[in-house]
Amino acid sequence: MGVKTPYPEILKIFEALILHVQSASHYRILGLVPSWYPLEISTDGRSIDPEEFIKKSFFLQCFLNEAEEFWQTHNTGMLASGLWVEAALMRDGSYLEATALIQEEQRFIIVQRYQPELVTLQPVLQKAREEHLAHGQELEVRNHVEAQLGSQLAESEQVRDDVLAVLDHLQLTIIMIDEHNVVTYVSPAACHLFTLDKQNLVGGLWPDVLPLTAEQSRQIQEQRALPEGNRIAVGISLQKKHQALLEIEIEVHDDPRDYQRTILFLKDRTEVEDLRRQLIGQAHFEQLIGKSPSMQVIYKKIREISPVDVPVLIQGETGTGKELVAQALHRLSARKGKPFVAINCAGLTDSLLGSQLFGHKRGAFTGAVSDHEGFFEAAEGGILFLDEIGDMPLTVQTTLLRVLQEKEIIRLGESRPRKVNVRVIAATHQNLQDLVAQGAFRSDLLYRIRIARLDLPPLRERREDIPLLSEAFFGQARAVTSKYDVQEISADAMQTLLRYHWPGNVRELKSTFEYALIHCQKNHIQPSDLPPELHDSATPILSLRSSPRDEREEILAALEQVKGKRAQAAKLLGMSRSTFYRRLSELGISPEECSL
Amino acid sequence: MKEGALIHKKICMLGGFAVGKTSLVKRFVTGQFSEKYQTTIGVKIDQKSQKVDETDMVLVLWDVYGEDDFQKVRASYLQGSAGYLLVVDGTRKETVDVAGQLKALAIQTMGSVPYVLLINKSDLRDSWQVESKLYEDLARNACLVLETSAKTGEGVELAFAELAKQMLKA
Repeated sequence: MGVKTPYPEILKIFEALILHVQSASHYRILGLVPSWYPLEISTDGRSIDPEEFIKKSFFLQCFLNEAEEFWQTHNTGMLASGLWVEAALMRDGSYLEATALIQEEQRFIIVQRYQPELVTLQPVLQKAREEHLAHGQELEVRNHVEAQLGSQLAESEQVRDDVLAVLDHLQLTIIMIDEHNVVTYVSPAACHLFTLDKQNLVGGLWPDVLPLTAEQSRQIQEQRALPEGNRIAVGISLQKKHQALLEIEIEVHDDPRDYQRTILFLKDRTEVEDLRRQLIGQAHFEQLIGKSPSMQVIYKKIREISPVDVPVLIQGETGTGKELVAQALHRLSARKGKPFVAINCAGLTDSLLGSQLFGHKRGAFTGAVSDHEGFFEAAEGGILFLDEIGDMPLTVQTTLLRVLQEKEIIRLGESRPRKVNVRVIAATHQNLQDLVAQGAFRSDLLYRIRIARLDLPPLRERREDIPLLSEAFFGQARAVTSKYDVQEISADAMQTLLRYHWPGNVRELKSTFEYALIHCQKNHIQPSDLPPELHDSATPILSLRSSPRDEREEILAALEQVKGKRAQAAKLLGMSRSTFYRRLSELGISPEECSL
Repeated sequence: MKEGALIHKKICMLGGFAVGKTSLVKRFVTGQFSEKYQTTIGVKIDQKSQKVDETDMVLVLWDVYGEDDFQKVRASYLQGSAGYLLVVDGTRKETVDVAGQLKALAIQTMGSVPYVLLINKSDLRDSWQVESKLYEDLARNACLVLETSAKTGEGVELAFAELAKQMLKA
């Protein structure tokens, strides 16, 4: 139709179907009909009716509508249909693509065929989409895993919270330590035990943050190094500020999840230890030593009497520790911060004792060159301990009774009374009731001073305390004599100590050890190191003193040995100073004899 | 569209890529299914005869490539459709959004024609991310919402039959 085909060879190579659009429904094939053309063609290679081709293709029919709009709105250019596959048209599954052209008002449709393998877009798009899908699946798996882990984490946290709540509820005292010695967990009960905040403990090195001594830390570390089955609990004492001593037992366990981590279980055994002590008896009380039932009774009475501000009478043989009991009463009373003044009433004349107790005015008697404050005034607010009150002269007893009743004293030589606030604790080795009967002691004073009473047992009546006392005195004697190479008391020596009847009581036992240490040549005390009187249990030392003459000679010998120093002589004889003075008086040993 | 005395109805398969459009058509036309994913380039056109209420008709199925960032669906492909199947992959909730965009394009291009919403891959229901609340908007005005599986064939026949019925009514 007058249209010249400029490049028929090229069109032949591309095997394109070129339709010249002559009217809305009339088409003519230009050039050769391509080999892929699905319809019958004439022998000269030209289709008779291309409209049949168009009619068979639903896609092309639609595209022609789109092309019509394009041609109407454009004078030049082209519009591509995009690829399509139409089984009814191309049974081999090949792709077709149509292009609408307009050139010099001439309209054309060019249809090209592509074998599937030649559609280059396909593998690219396929790969991109597969990767997208794989990525999506990966993302989904990750999200799923994340959700699962999140759920497991939440579950674990819940379990952990539950376990911690249970631990807290059970008041278990636990500290967890990691492999780097860092504290990772402290239970509230442990914080409470140490009176420390959690934040001060968690994250720190355990030897630094736990209030333990270097030795206690070393013991725990030592246990950590052992296999779990071989470990023993570490017992520690912990002194907290303003609180009683805590007794704590620490068990060292491996974390079952990680053997490099450690769990410390702390048990507060303070109460248990207290109860245990109560059960087996208290071995020490203030400066008193002894766990015998008779001493437990004494400790109990001291506790009961000390806070009650009344006079006390302590009775007991010499050397039983009457002054120590008086000191304990002082320390446990409300007067503990005030003076404790002790005076021995034995061996003093009534005027001297009166002067010492109540004071005197200058010129009150010969030698009273200045005003003198008596022991009552010196003990103001505190305690006045009157030892050997049984030896107190009757005149002084009378004055003392008045002082106790009126709570005021009058210095010798004065008429003006002075108010005093003093608690009197009296002690004696004598039976005051007998003295009252003999008229040597005022009954009204006795009733006044024995409102509270304590009867100390002699050592022979509490022999079970001898080993305990021996250990204590042995230690003291080692320190005094500096003989630290003496390690122990032999069993034989202990037997000797147990057999002896101890007329001088605890004081005698104490001096026995000083004697023994001085004589000991080995690393343990043997019976031969003990004083000779201990070896003749059939002849108690008391019998040696049963004769006043012998005792008088003994005292004089002792005085001679220590050049008249009475305190040293008393010590040498295993007597208290008060007993010594009393015996001096009783045996009629004059001061002059003492000085000889 | 008519060929001879038979009624021809153009149906577009619309949805994101890899939601199973080609597999649904293949299951419907040939009764087969392939596990291998083969992305569709351009448009694949198939036909299947369908009898609806004693009326024989030919469904011309336009399996349009899946829309994604690489390829946007040409509006011209939708022109002349009597209805469409809007396909969502139950295992990928992002395909709900793509379906929403295609539904908007379909309404813009074809007006209000019948469509059936298919939540496909019901054989993988354990892995589904799509809940009914997610596709509430898509389901609005749909003549039917079906859970389908090209793999098992669940809901496939019913989907095409129902759409054909609605197209015939329209």
